[in-house]
Amino acid sequence: MELSLDHRTESNFTVLEVGGEVDVYTAPKLREKLVELVSDGHYRIMVDMTKVEFLDSTGLGVLVGGLKRVRSHDGTLGLVCNQERILKIFRITGLTKVFPIYDSLDEALQDLA
Amino acid sequence: MTDHVELRVPSDPAYVGLTRLLVSAGARQAGMAGAKVEDLKIAVSEAATNAMRAHRQHESKEPVTILFRAHAARFEVVVADAGPGFDPQPPTAFRDWRAESGLGVTLMRHLADDISFSRKNGMQVTLLFDLSRPSGNGVVE
Repeated sequence: MELSLDHRTESNFTVLEVGGEVDVYTAPKLREKLVELVSDGHYRIMVDMTKVEFLDSTGLGVLVGGLKRVRSHDGTLGLVCNQERILKIFRITGLTKVFPIYDSLDEALQDLA
Repeated sequence: MTDHVELRVPSDPAYVGLTRLLVSAGARQAGMAGAKVEDLKIAVSEAATNAMRAHRQHESKEPVTILFRAHAARFEVVVADAGPGFDPQPPTAFRDWRAESGLGVTLMRHLADDISFSRKNGMQVTLLFDLSRPSGNGVVE
């Protein structure tokens, strides 16, 4: 399965909806998208990972890169993820302490409003 | 008669997904439970990615070899490359979150029930999965 990337504005956030598989083959597209969003002045990003089928360390690295980019503009990058198999890799790598992670987009947008 | 399946995969990131698919089909056929297959997919993806990176860095055109077999209630995957090898970092309690790479070995160590690294004309990573052991929740103690 390929990677799908769509972004839209919701409340005062840019929601980046990611779907499919994020691995060494597809991660460069996600990196490119995050770089493009930050270059265009989107510094408050919520990555919706609800439709992600697979994510490995290459994808984690890209998300960390995105977080560093928005933080350099005093921005924020949060994640929406309710899939245990993906949450688990954030726990193993300690990244649950680094990213704000929400069960749903509604919860994320309310918390950060 | 051989007791394993051996794949020779082009050293191209486009083939990492196919590698995951084939190895996870073998694991399911061996009786591995669904959540454990998800662990295996990530660990195999990490090992194959590292192998392909090693080939790219050393301009090797050789394929990456992936061997798998089920034996004695265990599922074993061996990923071998033709690179010069590396010294896997020991597990550490502290890690700078800003580092964008280096998480692959950490994930493999946690997701496989056992892992070993050896050098044999390249680097060889052996991942072992105990078919009777349930998948963990990733909480690091």
